[in-house]
Amino acid sequence: MFYLITFTLIYLAITVYFSYLGYRRTVTVSDYLLAGRQVHPVTMGLSYGATYISTSAIIGFGGVSALYGFGLTWLSFFNIMIGVWVAFVIFGKRTRKMGKALDAHTFPELLGRRYESRFIQGFSGLVILIFMPVYTAAVLIGISRFIEVYLNIPFSTAFLAFLLITACFVIWGGLKGVLYTSAFQGIIMVVSMVAIGISTYYSLGGISQAHRSLEAIAPMVPHYLQEAGHRGFASMPQAFSSIWWYVITTMIMGVGIGVIGQPQLNVRFMTLKSDRELNRSVPFAAIFILCTTGVAYAVGALTNVYFYNTYTELPLHAVGGNLDKIIPLYIDRFYPQWFVALFLVCLMSAAMSAGSSQFHALGTSLSRDIFEQALLKGKSVAETTIVTRIGIVLSIFATLIIGLVLPESIVAVATAFFFSLCGATFIPVYLFGLYWKRGTKPAAKASILSGFFVSLLWMLLFHEKEARAFGLCRKIFNMESLAGHPWNMIDPQIIALPISFIVFIVVSLVTHPVREETVAKAFVHI
Amino acid sequence: MMLGFSDSWVFAGFAFTIVSALFCVVYGILNWRKGGIEKEGDYREEIQWEREEIELIEKLP
Repeated sequence: MFYLITFTLIYLAITVYFSYLGYRRTVTVSDYLLAGRQVHPVTMGLSYGATYISTSAIIGFGGVSALYGFGLTWLSFFNIMIGVWVAFVIFGKRTRKMGKALDAHTFPELLGRRYESRFIQGFSGLVILIFMPVYTAAVLIGISRFIEVYLNIPFSTAFLAFLLITACFVIWGGLKGVLYTSAFQGIIMVVSMVAIGISTYYSLGGISQAHRSLEAIAPMVPHYLQEAGHRGFASMPQAFSSIWWYVITTMIMGVGIGVIGQPQLNVRFMTLKSDRELNRSVPFAAIFILCTTGVAYAVGALTNVYFYNTYTELPLHAVGGNLDKIIPLYIDRFYPQWFVALFLVCLMSAAMSAGSSQFHALGTSLSRDIFEQALLKGKSVAETTIVTRIGIVLSIFATLIIGLVLPESIVAVATAFFFSLCGATFIPVYLFGLYWKRGTKPAAKASILSGFFVSLLWMLLFHEKEARAFGLCRKIFNMESLAGHPWNMIDPQIIALPISFIVFIVVSLVTHPVREETVAKAFVHI
Repeated sequence: MMLGFSDSWVFAGFAFTIVSALFCVVYGILNWRKGGIEKEGDYREEIQWEREEIELIEKLP
């Protein structure tokens, strides 16, 4: 307890100081004129990484990796290649230039102004407002599961307490200095995760030996998992088996590709001064992802060796089937108490950095995209502040309810749900908005709507995981899913994303382009 | 056995992860000095953007 209180107080003091510093730095325009706001590439790289990688990746996907094994290493490859390189170089550079030219300040606003459509801005804002709390809840569940195991208190108490702390932090000043605080939080995450990675591999006799030990316990995989295609923790699942479809399309591709449509990440590119800062941030962000998710997925799989050698049971059984508890239990059982407290601070960093930028995206979506643009048709009024406050308080409540209602083993699933929904809805309009001048307003509307509704329908009626949870398909058609294998295992994004791409291209070719002045303005720096 | 993995797909994922991180480092180094100068030396647009951004932040709680 002593370590926990000491580390937490030091952490909170430094965080508050950085958020104050960050806020002060953004107060005057003259600061900016004097280049006072040049974001250092390390700050940008770490901050982006800390916003992207949350407790969800460490606890949720670490737990998933403990169940499905090293196949998840492909997700860390996607996290780096798509989440960093493609996001920064292919999307980030043009987002920054177009954002400045169109005076856009939120992701929905960039899309709305590019296609001259208030509907696109409002609808995109609404999607964020309604569905982002699911992801925020997942992030907070991640840390609450750890607190539950570490302090031995009920999950609901841990969740409520941590949500209150985050809410106070966010409302008091977390939103104002997001960039600097999240960079600091990023450093804590890298240090603790690297320590966990090195100690895990070291105590298992090195990299090759650790992997060999994992291969050796393949026969211990429960029978029902083997039947579904599980071939051991150091192997990919049987090709085209139900586990294979699930791991590849939902866990790896859903999250790996869906990152491109994440509004709280895309908006980061607009705050940079030039492409040089972006180029320089790429290595830091990539190393960050390698040290956090790379380690989390590898350690997740290796927990099987630890638990089996010590207790002759798999972690899946030790936690009673709740995947979200595997990493917390591993850290709690196998590390000294001071390190467990430090890891909790690492999770706090991960939860707060992701959480504050999510609440930032929620707040701006409501105030600017929905209230000022969609409802007031572009007018800016003093009431916006009140509306935003009410909106953030409501979204905190929504997060609370969702967090308490969601079942066990949900962190990775809820994250994948949000990433996949954003991916299918936003990626085509975003990509074509940046690269194709011929893209039209009706095409953008049709693409967003088709991506969104196809995803939703697929989730409710076809994709068995969600269809079973919502129960709508059972009520209407008296069955769990309208399609059999493999369709019931294929992630909604895999179906909806190609459809929204095709819809965009086809509708663009048969409708009138966006006004020439708008296109010229959008592409003026490109 | 490559790094203790007998499944070549898992080994490939593991290797690609490290190679992709190295690729990003090399990309950053090669482009370290590139992209510093914008097409136009006119910063009015940037100042306007910054002004609006501050206003937006002020409206948040």
